[in-house]
Amino acid sequence: MKLRIEELAEVTYVVPEGRLDFDAAPGFQEAVERVLGGAGKSLAPVIIDGTGLEYVSSAGLRAFLLAARAAQRSGIPFALCALQPAVREVFELSGFSRIIPVHADRASALAQTQQGRA
Amino acid sequence: MTARRTAVPADAAQLIVLTRFLRDFWAAEALAPPKMQTFELALEEIFMNIVTHGSRPGGTLLVEVSLNLSAESVAMTVEDDGPEFDPLSLQPPDVTASLADRRVGGLGVFLVRKIMDSVSYARIEGRNQLRMSKRLDG
Repeated sequence: MKLRIEELAEVTYVVPEGRLDFDAAPGFQEAVERVLGGAGKSLAPVIIDGTGLEYVSSAGLRAFLLAARAAQRSGIPFALCALQPAVREVFELSGFSRIIPVHADRASALAQTQQGRA
Repeated sequence: MTARRTAVPADAAQLIVLTRFLRDFWAAEALAPPKMQTFELALEEIFMNIVTHGSRPGGTLLVEVSLNLSAESVAMTVEDDGPEFDPLSLQPPDVTASLADRRVGGLGVFLVRKIMDSVSYARIEGRNQLRMSKRLDG
């Protein structure tokens, strides 16, 4: 799996590409937690853009869960957006879409996370 | 009806071998790709469960995977020669728990039950056998 990080002034996008399976999950979790740590005092939202995410297993869900908890502890808004249908299905079946906000696209994710802070 | 079978040691590095076996089967039978991902997910969850939890004194378990195509469905059977363990006996996770309380244990098997049409366990001749099937139309 490849990972791209787009750090903007008001938000950081994390863009995973490929398969988030047992093999990729630990590295992904570590990378997201590094981004959360780097957000420092700005508390800018961190949004995972799932456009290129093709596959997620329970190991991948675990990485999302731990990252979402780390974000919550630090007070950083954390959300997902633009999930492919197969990945969205896994989030829905597992109940994860109830505990981690999932939005249609970057714009609505950003609007919602900023609104949440207001 | 077409059937194929392969066997690998219960080692995480072997998942890619099983995934390739699955993809080759799908391509050879010219089946629709979306359902393949369902089987890939089930294969990862069940195989990694065996890798993580199954063990035998003095050796690695052997895991056998077979795929059977019938008129309307694909059946996948995963067998191992480890101690008796029924993954379907695992407590399902509480999918309504909050972010802080949510546990991950049992999530893989829970997902498999959700994405497959049927999942059954049997202990046969000293082997664990998990059989899953899914219709190709729906």
